[in-house]
Amino acid sequence: MTDSLSNPITKVIVHMYKMGTGDCFVLKFMAKEQETFKMMIDCGTWNRKFVDIRPFISTLKKDVSKHVDVMVVTHEHKDHVLGFQAGKKQFTSGFNIDRIWMGWSENDTDEKVKSWKDKHGEKKAALNLAVSQLKDPAHKRRTERQLDGSSHLNEIIEQRRYFAEVLADFAELHVSGGEYKGSLQGMAVVKKDIANNNISYFRPGTVMENIEGLEGVRIYVLGPPELWERIRQESGEEGEAYKHNRELEESDLFLQALEANGTSQPDNTLYPFEEFYLMDKGEKLKPYERPEESWRRIDYDWLYSSGAFALRMNSLTNNLSLALAFEFLPSGKVILFPGDAEFGSWKSWHDINWKDKGYDVSTEDLLNRVVFYKVAHHLSHNGTARSIGLDMMTHDGLAAMATLDYDDISNGWKSTMPNRQIIRDLLEKTKGRTMILNETGLHYDFEGQIPLSDEIATYREKMSDDEKEKFKNAYNNKSEHYLEYVVTL
Amino acid sequence: MNRKKESPIYRKLRGYAFDPALSLIIDTVDINDIVYKVSWEDKLDPGPCGEYIEVVDYDPTIKRSYTPVDLNETYVLANEGVSPSESNPQFHQQMVYAVAMITIRNFEKALGRKILWAPRQTREDWKYESYVGRLRIYPHALRDANAYYSPLKKAILFGYFSASPADKTQLMPGSLVFTCLSHDIIAHEVTHAILDGLHRFYNQPSNPDVLAFHEAFADIVALFQHFTFPDVLKHQIAKTKGNLEKQNLLGQLAQQFGAAIGQYGSLRDALGETDQETNEWKPSKPNPLDYENVLEPHKRGSILVAAVFEAFLTIYRQRVADLLRIATGGSGVLPEGELHPDLVNRLAAEAAKSAQHVLSMCLRAIDYCPPVDITFGDFLRAIITADADIVSDDSHHYRLAFIEAFRRRGIYPKGIRTLSEESLQYRVDWEGLEEDTKGFFNIIGDFLRDYRSKVTYVTSRKEIFDISQKFIKGTYANRSGLHESLWMKFDNSYQFEKLTGLVFNGDWKSFGVKGEDKASYQILNLRLVSRVGPNGEQVNQIVFGLVQRVGVRFENDQFQECYIPKSDQDPPIGGFEVWGGCTLIFDLDTVQLKYAISKPLLVPDKLERYVRELNQDRIDEHYQYQTEVLPLSVSQVSQYFALGFNSNLTEMFSLLHKG
Repeated sequence: MTDSLSNPITKVIVHMYKMGTGDCFVLKFMAKEQETFKMMIDCGTWNRKFVDIRPFISTLKKDVSKHVDVMVVTHEHKDHVLGFQAGKKQFTSGFNIDRIWMGWSENDTDEKVKSWKDKHGEKKAALNLAVSQLKDPAHKRRTERQLDGSSHLNEIIEQRRYFAEVLADFAELHVSGGEYKGSLQGMAVVKKDIANNNISYFRPGTVMENIEGLEGVRIYVLGPPELWERIRQESGEEGEAYKHNRELEESDLFLQALEANGTSQPDNTLYPFEEFYLMDKGEKLKPYERPEESWRRIDYDWLYSSGAFALRMNSLTNNLSLALAFEFLPSGKVILFPGDAEFGSWKSWHDINWKDKGYDVSTEDLLNRVVFYKVAHHLSHNGTARSIGLDMMTHDGLAAMATLDYDDISNGWKSTMPNRQIIRDLLEKTKGRTMILNETGLHYDFEGQIPLSDEIATYREKMSDDEKEKFKNAYNNKSEHYLEYVVTL
Repeated sequence: MNRKKESPIYRKLRGYAFDPALSLIIDTVDINDIVYKVSWEDKLDPGPCGEYIEVVDYDPTIKRSYTPVDLNETYVLANEGVSPSESNPQFHQQMVYAVAMITIRNFEKALGRKILWAPRQTREDWKYESYVGRLRIYPHALRDANAYYSPLKKAILFGYFSASPADKTQLMPGSLVFTCLSHDIIAHEVTHAILDGLHRFYNQPSNPDVLAFHEAFADIVALFQHFTFPDVLKHQIAKTKGNLEKQNLLGQLAQQFGAAIGQYGSLRDALGETDQETNEWKPSKPNPLDYENVLEPHKRGSILVAAVFEAFLTIYRQRVADLLRIATGGSGVLPEGELHPDLVNRLAAEAAKSAQHVLSMCLRAIDYCPPVDITFGDFLRAIITADADIVSDDSHHYRLAFIEAFRRRGIYPKGIRTLSEESLQYRVDWEGLEEDTKGFFNIIGDFLRDYRSKVTYVTSRKEIFDISQKFIKGTYANRSGLHESLWMKFDNSYQFEKLTGLVFNGDWKSFGVKGEDKASYQILNLRLVSRVGPNGEQVNQIVFGLVQRVGVRFENDQFQECYIPKSDQDPPIGGFEVWGGCTLIFDLDTVQLKYAISKPLLVPDKLERYVRELNQDRIDEHYQYQTEVLPLSVSQVSQYFALGFNSNLTEMFSLLHKG
C-alpha cells in the first residue's frame, strides 16, 4: 500500500464478553468516530446453562446492531462454540453475517480433511469410552475391595475419581452429549444453520488487505500450521527409530482396546499375539487370582494412559486454531488474536516467509509491534510461547486480555491456569494492562495467598501519570456483559 | 553312588542384546542374540515365578492371560530357553525375568547382601509394614509407549504399542513394539524398584536433585549393565576405522541405546550429539552452569548420567592406553583395513570390565547416601567413600576420574571447600568423641553384634526381614529393640544430636517433632554388609538409617514457627514437613561408628557449643524449592490431573514423562 490513506482505522474497540472461561469477542474498527467494520471472534464458554448464555448474545446483537461483516470461528472446542449452540435462534434470525472465517482444517469438502476428521472422530469416541469405563461404579467398588488395607486408601480413591472427572471434561470439549462423529454441536450450528455459503477457509501465509471498511489494515494468517503434511513425512528426531509423534498418531492399539472393551466379544485382530498363545477364556493365572494379593491387580491401570491421550487431543485441536495478526498502517501497530494456539503452532508461525509473498516483515517483527494480545488458551503454560512469543512482544504500549473465569471452568484447568510465569511476564510487559475476565479467586503466588487482583492493582499504580490516564480512558468495566478496551492506533 | 548333586550355578537364557527397535539404527541384526547367565533357582514355577520375581502375564486390555513359560521344561532347559521371538509372549516373559535377575544380582554383589523389596504400607505413619517377597512384573500391561514401576502395587507394568517407523524400508509400519523386550527399559524399571527398597524416602522431592536422582540412577544402571556384555561392544568396535584415540563410539552407542522410543532417550541426550555436517558424533562439552540452572528432573538427571559416563570413558581410556600404543605403533592412528580381531576382543573386554567397575562403584555408593534429601554432591561423596573403603590401591585412579567428571559439571557437595579424595570422604572422628558417647556406642555395638550373629547365616529373605524388624522394634527375646535402646542411651546427648542431626532431647515438641513419651523417629533398613575388594580387602559393616520430621510454618515467605505434624490432619496454612535423617555405618570388627552421613534438622556447629537450634538454612532452602521450583517441574499431565508427588498415589516412575 504505497498510496496515502484517506480514512485509515484509528482505533479498535474490543469487547470481551464475560460468559465464562471461553472466548467471545467483538471488534469494532473505527476511522476516527466512524464505525467502518464489525467483527466477532468465537462465542463460547465452558459450561454455562443455555438460559444464562442467551442474555449475553442479546447484548452482543445490540452491540453490533444486529450485523457483523465477519464472524471468525477459531477452532472446534466447546469453550469457543458453545454460544452458537445456545443461541442458535438468536444467530439465525435477525442477525446478518456477511462472511465467516475459519482455518483450512474446517473445510469439510477437502478429502484429506474429511478422512482426518473421521479418524479424529474415532479418537473422540474412544476418549469417551475411556471416561465411561473409568467412571463405571464397578470400577470404584473393585478398587476399594482390592486395595482394602492399603494406607492412603481414601486418597487413592479420591484421586482416581478426580482423574475421571478431568478426563470427562476433556472429552466434553470435543463431544456434545455423546455425539462424536462429525462436528461439535456448536460448530455444526455455524456450518449448517448460521452459514449461508459464506465461509472462507484460510491457510497460513495468507495476507488480506484492501478490505472495504478496513482501510490501512493488513490481516496476516499465522495458523493453523499445515500439520498433517508433516505427519506423512519421515519426521522423527535424529536417531529415532520411531517417530514419537506426540501430536497426532495415538497408538491405534489403545483405541482398539477401548472400543472392544465396550463390547462383549473382542475379535482377535485385537490380540497382539496369535490366539495359540493365549490361555482359555475362563482360565486365570494363579498369582493374579490370589485374594490376599488382590491389591496388586492391574485391571484398570491401562485406562489411565488416556490422560496423556486426552491432553494430546486437546493440544491438537488447539493448534488448529485460526491465528490472526492485524497490522494497522500507518502506525504499524499490531493486534494479535491467536485463538488457543499452543507452542507447536507458535513455532510454525516463524517458518512463514512473508517476504516471498511480497511483504517486508517477519513474524518476529510483527510480534515486536503487538499492542494488544488476546491471551491464548486462558493463560495456560502451553498457550503462550515464551522465547518465540511473549519475549518478542516488546512494544511499550502492550495490553492483554485473558478469558479466564474460575466461576465457570473445568476443575483440572484450575491447576494449570493461570500459569504463574506467564502472568508474571504479562504483568511486567503490560505494566498492569492485563485484563482478566474474572479476577476473583485467582492468585499470584503458588501458595494461594496473594490475590491476583492485588498484584494487578500494584502494577497499575506504578504506571506513569500519562500511562494511567491513557489506560483510564481506554478501559471500562461498566457493562454487565463485557469488558471494553479501546486500542488506539 | 550317593554323592549329592550340586545345583548348577547358572541358568542360561537367550535374550535380545538390543531393543529390536534399535536394530534399525545400529545394524545389529546379526548379533542381537545374547545369552544371559542368570543365577540358578531350584524352585522356579511357570511364569516364571521364583524367589525374587513373579512374572504375571495378564493383559488387562483384552482381559486374557498368555500361557506362562516353564523354564524347567526339559527342552527349554536344553535349548537355553525358548527361542527369541517378538511374536512369542513366552519369550517376553523369559527376557523380562532374565534381565531383572541379572540386575538384582549386580546389586547383591556390589552391596554384599540380599535385596529386599520395599515393604507394603498398610496403615498410615509407616507403622505397619508387611513383607513383599516377590516383585511382580506384568510384561503386557498397558497399550502405551511407556513402562513404570508402581510403588503402590510393588509391580512393574510394561506397555506395548504400534509404531510408525521413521524408515519404512526397515520395519513394517504398524508393527508392534514391546517395551518389555528392551534390556535397558527392564533394567531401568527394576532399578527403581530396588532403590525404592533401599531408600524409600527418595520419592519425596525436597531439593531439585531428588527426583532427578531416581531417574539418573536407574539410567546409569541400565546403561552400564548393558555395557558389561562384551559381545555387545565387539561388533561395534570392529566397525571402528581410523583414529582409535577418539573413541567416541562408546558415547554414541550409549546415546543410541536410549533413542529408540523418543523421549526415553532424553537422559542420554547430554552425552553428545551428531554433527549435522560431518556426521561425526561428538561428546558434549560439560557446562557447569547447567547444574545451577537446569531444574526439570529429566534434564537435570542427564547431567549426572553424563558425569558418570565421562568418568567411565576416562577409566576406559586409561585401561586401553597401552593397547592402543601397541596397535598403532605409538601414532594413535590405525593402518588401513579392519581392526585385528584380537584387538577388538581386548578392547571390548576392557570396556566391559570398566563398565562393571563403574557400575559397582555406583551401586556400592547407595549404602553411603543419606536416607533423605539426596543430592548429586552427596552421591559423589558416597562413591568416593565407598570405594576408598574397599579398594585400597586405586592404581587406575578411578576415584580421580569421578571427581574430575563431577567437577567439570559444577557438582560440588555442600560444605566442601576443595575437591580432593580426602575432603570428600565421610569420616567420624571416633577418637574425638566423649568417653560417655563412646561407651554408649559400644553398648549399641554389642547389640549389633548380636544382630549379626542372628542374621549372618540366614538365607531366607523373609527371615532376614523378620529378624531385622524384631531387632528394631524389640520383641526379640524380650529385649528392648534398637529403637528404644538408642533413645535410652542417647536421649539428651549433644554429641549424638551433632552426629545425626536429629532431635534427641526432652524438648522435642518445641522443635516440631511429634511423640508422646519420646521424640518420634524411625529406624530404616537395618542390614549387614559383607563385601570383599579386588585385593582381598574385607568390609564388614552394619548399616541403618534414622529419619525424623518436623512441621514448620511459613507466612509471607518467612519462617514463623514449628507445629506437630499429625497424619490424620491437614497441615496448617503455610505449613509443611521437613525431613532430616542420618545413615549410620558401624564397622563390625571394631564395633566403632565409622560414618555418620546426615541431613541435619539441628545445626551441628551450634551443638558443639551445647546449643540446640533448628537448621534454618536447610528449612529455608526446602521452602524455596517447594514454592518456586517444584511446581515448574510437574509434567502437564500431572498438572491437569492433579497427580501430586505422593508415590503411594501416583505412578511416579513412569518411563516417559510425557508432556
